Amino acid sequence: MPKVTFINPDESRIELDIPVGTSLMRAATAHGIDGIVGDCGGGLTCATCHVLVEDGYLDKMPAVQANEDQMLDFTAMGRSPCSRLSCQLVVTEDMDGLTVRIADPQL
Amino acid sequence: MSEAALSTKTIDAPVLEIDPYSLEVLRDPYPFHERLREAGPAAFIERYGVYAVGRHAEAAIVLNDHARFTACGGIGIQDIRKPGDFRIPNRLLENDPPGHTAIRATLTKYLSPIVIRRWREHFETEAKGLVEELVAKGEFDGVEDVAEAFVLKVFPAAVGVKLPRKEILAIGEMRFNQSGPPNELYHRAMERAKPYLEWFENSVRREGVTPGSIAEMLFDAEDRGEFEEGIASNMVRSFVGGGTDSTITGIGHTLNKLAQNPDQWALVKADPNKVRAAFEEAIRLESPFQVTYRTTTGQAELSGVQLRPDTKVGVFLGAANRDPRKWQEPDRFDVTRDTTGIHLGFGTGAHICIGQMIARLEAEAILRALVTRIDRLEPAGLPRYRPINQMRTLDHLPLRARLG
Ligand code: HEM
Repeated sequence: MPKVTFINPDESRIELDIPVGTSLMRAATAHGIDGIVGDCGGGLTCATCHVLVEDGYLDKMPAVQANEDQMLDFTAMGRSPCSRLSCQLVVTEDMDGLTVRIADPQL
Repeated sequence: MSEAALSTKTIDAPVLEIDPYSLEVLRDPYPFHERLREAGPAAFIERYGVYAVGRHAEAAIVLNDHARFTACGGIGIQDIRKPGDFRIPNRLLENDPPGHTAIRATLTKYLSPIVIRRWREHFETEAKGLVEELVAKGEFDGVEDVAEAFVLKVFPAAVGVKLPRKEILAIGEMRFNQSGPPNELYHRAMERAKPYLEWFENSVRREGVTPGSIAEMLFDAEDRGEFEEGIASNMVRSFVGGGTDSTITGIGHTLNKLAQNPDQWALVKADPNKVRAAFEEAIRLESPFQVTYRTTTGQAELSGVQLRPDTKVGVFLGAANRDPRKWQEPDRFDVTRDTTGIHLGFGTGAHICIGQMIARLEAEAILRALVTRIDRLEPAGLPRYRPINQMRTLDHLPLRARLG
């Protein structure tokens, strides 16, 4: 199973083994990672599962679709070039070793 | 024949002779839903010449594939591009990308989650006030005195439209019957709404909306060229239609299920954060929008079933939300179930409900206020459903609040 590391706002790190086909948002909320809120369950209407993808992995992520692109503009922290909504990051084998920083605040 | 050859063989959709819009089905849609799911990935509804989909997986495929299943033919059973249908098309919903994308992007600017979250405190204050009135009454109607009273108090004001109760309920009933076939319900609802049509047209015009509101901002955006002409008014119309009856209904179903299931009430009482899960589960179990349509653009294959071109496909969200292929014990109301973003009650794909965070905020505010203030919620009589072609909605819900 691909390993993904989440960096919390307090710099602590959590490493999860996430099955291929599961989104980072679902894996994080299922494991009680509080920094990922995911209020709308992946519907691209809340922008509360915002993460920043660390160096070297951005091009391994699925392309940003229109609804995600729109919502990224309304994250509480504000958008940066490596911003993604983690509900759209569905894990593939390619993502093994991925590190994402949890945006703060989400709400 | 080899197995590979068998697996690529496609069949025509099995024919169902049932009328999904008969009063019998509308009063209790679940036996029809089961027949539909068991018939196959898609069935053909002989009476109306349309396809119907009731399984979760295929429902999601249809809603996510606008190239093969267009929304431009309208979300009702009739094709709005053909003569005979008098509805005013929703220019966001009854539209495909890329035209849809541009309108949705602009709308999202004015109705973003940041804007919506600012309403929380006000909604909570209003909810507490209403719950005090309910406690004083002791017995009340979960639809009229709770869901309708709360939604009509906070939602129109938040977006900037004026919605008196009698008018808006008649208009809603017309709209959600009009998206079905021209049956008796349809004609009766049109007749009843007639006296209010002019009022409705005026209330979605610039002059009718509240100065300084989101609705007015949409008209200003249109003046600046952010929307094509006519979109602002069409969007205000779409909020009123999409956002009022649906939320009232969803809150009503949640109250009904909580009153009927004391064990689930106890879970929510012990942890009021669970009111959100309760609302979500009620939307799964009694989906306010039961069905939405797409139209095949060409010959299309859906999980081995061949669909004819230019034909309506009814996506029965309520059936998908109880599909045993997706859910364990699908008919059970269970607030611990993982449903948010998985059930299709808010749709999926490009048109997924843009107002869902508003609906959740309203539901959370009123349900939390109730759960924290009272100890038990009990049925005080039998609930009554109101048959509407496109919706699953409660008419009366007698409830009793118990303290201590
Ligand atoms: C419990 C409450 C609600 C339910 C169950 C609900 C359900 C839905 C569903 C199923 C769709 C997708 C229809 C399709 O794909 O054919 C949708 C779309 C939509 N909803 Fe809601 N809705 C609710 C509340 C609201 C609210 C409060 C608003 C207010 C703004 C709203 C506005 C809209 C709009 C404008 C669309 C069209 C979006 C698009 O085409 O991109 N809804 N809703």
